[in-house]
Amino acid sequence: MPVQAIRTTSTARNGVGAFILQCKRLDFHYCDHWGSSKGMNTFLRSPLLPRFAAAHPQIQIHISPRPNTHPIIRGLYINGREKVICVRNLEKEQILQKCELLRDATGEKVKRPKGGRVVGSLNESVRGVWDPYHGGNKEIFGGRIVGAGR
Amino acid sequence: MKALRLLRWSGSVLSPRTRPCCFIHQTQYRPPFATNFLRFQSTAPIQYTPNIALEDDGKSGKAESIEAFFHNAPTQEERETILSQIPSPPPGQAHKSARLSALHARLMLPPRLPLETLARCLVDPSADIDSQFNNSSLSILGYDLLGLYTSEAVLCRHPRLPTEVMFAAMWAYCGPKTIAVITREWGVEVAAAPGGEVDPGYLQCKRVEAGNSSVDGTGVQVKELPIVATDSKGKPTFAEQGWRRGASSKTIKGDYFGDEIQRTELDYAERPELRQEDLQRKLEKGVTLEQASTNFVRALMGAIYLHAGKKAAYNFFKAHILSRHLDFSKLFEFRQPTRDLSRLCAREGFESPVARILSETGRKSRTPVFVVGVFAGKDKLGEGSGSSLDEARFRAAVGALKGWYLYSPLEVKVPSQAERGGQWEPVLVDGGEVVV
Repeated sequence: MPVQAIRTTSTARNGVGAFILQCKRLDFHYCDHWGSSKGMNTFLRSPLLPRFAAAHPQIQIHISPRPNTHPIIRGLYINGREKVICVRNLEKEQILQKCELLRDATGEKVKRPKGGRVVGSLNESVRGVWDPYHGGNKEIFGGRIVGAGR
Repeated sequence: MKALRLLRWSGSVLSPRTRPCCFIHQTQYRPPFATNFLRFQSTAPIQYTPNIALEDDGKSGKAESIEAFFHNAPTQEERETILSQIPSPPPGQAHKSARLSALHARLMLPPRLPLETLARCLVDPSADIDSQFNNSSLSILGYDLLGLYTSEAVLCRHPRLPTEVMFAAMWAYCGPKTIAVITREWGVEVAAAPGGEVDPGYLQCKRVEAGNSSVDGTGVQVKELPIVATDSKGKPTFAEQGWRRGASSKTIKGDYFGDEIQRTELDYAERPELRQEDLQRKLEKGVTLEQASTNFVRALMGAIYLHAGKKAAYNFFKAHILSRHLDFSKLFEFRQPTRDLSRLCAREGFESPVARILSETGRKSRTPVFVVGVFAGKDKLGEGSGSSLDEARFRAAVGALKGWYLYSPLEVKVPSQAERGGQWEPVLVDGGEVVV
């Protein structure tokens, strides 16, 4: 039988061609009465929000009241997860910073990279996988290895 | 090659609502009242009973009549009634959807592609059978474009790929499974059920019923029902006839993934009623999410081509599909690599391949390692290591074959580049795979 093929799918590399921003929606919730929403209400009335929205047309922005609670910003992501930040008693500039934080997030859980594998890559190593049967011949002179490796 | 004047052609294909005029102007420019009024008068009769107006009384005027009717409805309730009766959202709703314009921006679509067309791309034939409103015509164009761009990218960069592997590479770049994944990665959401009142930013399709859902609450699962053979299924497939298909049959009779085409244009030409039957079946049974997303991405590709031209279409393809990662060397599956290699050497006029041990360790141990090279005369074609001599020899032959088949020229100009204003350059045409 001649050569056969295996069907697989290609894998995405976001940013190599097009870059898809992972945050797809931001919900702003405010309260008219509570003092903790003061900064949020100023933010919603200030030009900061229209400017942010105009700079990021790929993010839907929803604003709705949530009476008798602290104000929150909720980010919804392409992977289906969501991230919520409570912005009680924050000033409008601080709220903008939180918006930017939500915009830049991927929506994944925050994980600490463990072990040595901090960098993940789809490409092969340029040097190849090390194996003991190729490369320099090892000779031992007086307990020191000379000419080891490739 | 003379450049084709595409926009002239496409103008007659597109409906008046989706002409490639400037996107920004469309949102700001409102025609004066008199012209609106005239157009309403010149189209289908407008009456204040939704059922009459929604009947199809002339193909050309249907889009206008729905729009006109919708805007003339005096109360909110009447508008809602109209929306709930039509199968997909009317084109005029596209500018009201934040989800749709966010999608437009997220995909960095050219501004010349209007939101109405993007909304139309999201309407699957299973949601709306009317080809004036669904994406079927655009997806036919997109299917051909994706095939052209992908196949030239694959074949010009790897001119020696065996046919089967080429099919697999095509499938990996733009097969239905990949496209379904792409749609998900774009953040396209699917409407629970299609309808006129649904936000046009959702993918509108009728989903097939899940196999484990019960039939009318009886507790019997859908997948347990006997399969009813339908006449309109067409000819039995090659597999049903007990035939194994070779690469030549796949090239001639298959699509660009090497799969058998169930229904060709020839079938439709012979029995024109089949087309309507197929559409009706889709409308009744629904489609899988994979099929709906495939139609959407293809239609989007076609829409970009029609509205923004060849360059924009190619750039979109490059940014979203060609930029994906695919390791070609993992697509191969050899059955008898040593035989393939000796046939290849005979064809190319090399000396017949000989395997020689390069190094070994632990022959008598539990974990021996042999490194074997395969040579044609004095040239080493490939090398492999394994825990037995045969394994190492096979791996060496596979390495040599992959080295031959995966040859890639340094600088490639694809043929379609000439259409986009570049210089046409001939590309390498190889003899192909060995026949064993």
